[in-house]
Amino acid sequence: MKIMELEEMKNTWNELSKRVEKQELQTDQIIEKMTQQKYHSKLNKISYSEYAGTIICYIGAAYLIVNFAKIEETLMQIFTIIAILLLFILPVISLKSVRIMKNVEISSKTYLEAINHFGKQKIRFQKLQKLNVSLGLFLLLISVPVLSAIQGKNISETPYFWTLIFPFSILFFLVFAYWVMKSYNKVLNATEEMLSEINQ
Amino acid sequence: MDLKARFTKVIKENKGLIFKVTTLYTDGEQDRKDLYQEIVYQLWKSFDSFKEQSKLSTWMYRVALNTAIYHLKQTKKRIQTVPIDFKTDRFDETKDKVEEERIKLLYEHIQRLNLLERGIILLYLEGKSYEEIASIVGITTTNVGTKISRIKKKLKSEMSSSKN
Repeated sequence: MKIMELEEMKNTWNELSKRVEKQELQTDQIIEKMTQQKYHSKLNKISYSEYAGTIICYIGAAYLIVNFAKIEETLMQIFTIIAILLLFILPVISLKSVRIMKNVEISSKTYLEAINHFGKQKIRFQKLQKLNVSLGLFLLLISVPVLSAIQGKNISETPYFWTLIFPFSILFFLVFAYWVMKSYNKVLNATEEMLSEINQ
Repeated sequence: MDLKARFTKVIKENKGLIFKVTTLYTDGEQDRKDLYQEIVYQLWKSFDSFKEQSKLSTWMYRVALNTAIYHLKQTKKRIQTVPIDFKTDRFDETKDKVEEERIKLLYEHIQRLNLLERGIILLYLEGKSYEEIASIVGITTTNVGTKISRIKKKLKSEMSSSKN
């Protein structure tokens, strides 16, 4: 096939337009749904799963508060307080980052403004998510000794705890964090690149 | 005519516009349907406040294109979309396979452009004037001209390199 000139592209596009006109797009049903307010926009809505995560965190925090008296060791008490704080903070960061992406006013923006706004939102979202994942992984790490302490177990007495389990857990934590951050950074870089290309 | 009837008429008259935007910014049938609904919803939301200050088509393109941008986050982590899969039943049955191939090729190359270029070329192919493109996109008319000639070169070189 020979290379299309722009005028030919226009002709091809017009051909496409003719075909599109014949498409059945169920417009009536869609409009019926909109006007009866049965349609829920995904762009502005925070999903149930995002709320469910918050509830789970708060249940976890409540569990730690209720069982706090069972923990005797000072270090474990400090870990528990940190864990409780994280369980309260994490959902706030998460919902805040989701809200950033959901807070959109579409019709008032030009296309260029929308792209820039979307790109900036995405960067902020990724940064907050990075913070969230780091704190979440840290929470995971400290929750093991905290839960053991609540159950009255001394994890230091577990065989190979200091020689094997602890160093490997730290190693796993670092590798996993590195992998997660790498993927977030990839999206961040792609978005930043896209924004700089657009605004050239 | 009441608001709903007027809106339905406008959407039906411009369904092709919405369909083409949805096809350029999505990469699957379900995703395309979701975006179609979202665009109709966003148009309905602002239809009442649209007071003919701008041309109807300018307002529609702006809402459709902007919705497509914000919709990108719903389905993908990445910014670029992948080339669409053209199923044979995507359009009405056609005997003209060559035309089908040309449309597919054109779509694939447009999808490789960055978001700004993609929007501009869509409007250009839709036959919009430079002034109207400038008003929808939010850049100057001169800039529209510059960008279009740059996109032309880009598409031409992409098409020739994919041909070789």
